[in-house]
Amino acid sequence: MFDWIDKGGVLAPLLDGVVSGTALTLAASACAFAIGLALGIVLLLARISSIAPLRALVVLWVSLLRGTPALIHMLIAYYMVPALLDISISPLTAGIAALACNTSAYIVEILRGALGTMSHGQRAAGYAMGMRPWQVWRYVLLPQMIYRSIPPLTSEFTILLKASSLMSIIAVPELATVARNAGLQTDLPLQVFTITAAVYFVILFLISAASRVCEGRVARMLPHGH
Amino acid sequence: MAIDFSVVREAIPPLIDGLRITALVNVVGIPIGIAAGIAAAYAAQSRTLLRPVALAYVELVRNIPYLILVYLSFFGLPKLGVQASAMQVAIICTAFYTGGYFCEILRAALRSVPRGQTHAAFSLGMTFWQAQRLVIAPQLFRFVTPPTTSLVIMMFKDSSIFSVMSLPEMTYQSNLLTANTFAYVEVLGTTALIYWICSVLLAGVGRRVESVIGRRARHA
Repeated sequence: MFDWIDKGGVLAPLLDGVVSGTALTLAASACAFAIGLALGIVLLLARISSIAPLRALVVLWVSLLRGTPALIHMLIAYYMVPALLDISISPLTAGIAALACNTSAYIVEILRGALGTMSHGQRAAGYAMGMRPWQVWRYVLLPQMIYRSIPPLTSEFTILLKASSLMSIIAVPELATVARNAGLQTDLPLQVFTITAAVYFVILFLISAASRVCEGRVARMLPHGH
Repeated sequence: MAIDFSVVREAIPPLIDGLRITALVNVVGIPIGIAAGIAAAYAAQSRTLLRPVALAYVELVRNIPYLILVYLSFFGLPKLGVQASAMQVAIICTAFYTGGYFCEILRAALRSVPRGQTHAAFSLGMTFWQAQRLVIAPQLFRFVTPPTTSLVIMMFKDSSIFSVMSLPEMTYQSNLLTANTFAYVEVLGTTALIYWICSVLLAGVGRRVESVIGRRARHA
């Protein structure tokens, strides 16, 4: 399939694995992001609840995860958690769990920031119209919060996708692992890692470009001077 | 499962040795990166061929995972005939990445100083660099400090990636300890705790700098 790049077949170890590696990178990142977003919403509800210990726990969770390297999260998920709970988990499960927890700490702050930009008047107006608390959430606050969060959430997704390369540390066969193995097998590190960097670059650049288009649309959809 | 505190006590000295290397890489690499970022930000402002070069540099840094850059430099540089130690590669990667991100930070800050100020400085007879130094630069610190604190913390955390080239920084030391003792809970827990404490301290320093700058700005 890639004969046009690699006439002598010397880059076969990379080119044979690059499609499956990229697919796994994308799938694992999407999966981790979905779990992280769900977790982030739950954490947000705890963060703004009236129960002080619950709020403190979320603050601690955010501080711990944002204050430690993603690489350490991988090692903790793959080695430390199974040792603590006396279970065994696959590298992929551990990798996705680590990425999801990592991103949840950033997502909760993004959502909280988006919620904070809405005035108290909106909530009061909802109540004044006879809405119940969940209706105010469902029809007034939640839709705006999601729209406002789209640009920073997209940029968070690109950060997550870059961090997914760290799954190679625990031997998940994603793009970075394919690249590292191919680099060692072929002894052509310059070619192998340049091609890999180009694959990441194209994916991330497209996501960022889509995000910029999206940002413009979101800005037009929201009321001015909320 | 019980935590064996004697393992924790034995793990701390090698981890602190690793932290010294982690600190050294960042203390040397980040200032070089900031200098590169300043150069890139002014290049991006110019109307010369340097502009697309600077913009391409920023896009490269933003869209390539750090791990891939580290692999490319560590395995690729010798193929180009450049013999560099893991420490040198680590410093180069730190500086390269910091530079791209700092360029973005500085560009955003430069945009937030009104254009009219540069024009006013020119009409007072100042040269470009006088205007930058006396009028623009003093106002930039306020905008630059908070994102730079985040950047420093990010580079500090990401320096854990240098463990893949066996640079004996903190994560590498942690890997050695777990390989020898299998005490994953104690060793990884201690390592994470040290990273966390350092990050919290760095964030505190950043806030301190911000408040000092804020006070100066009010007095001025």
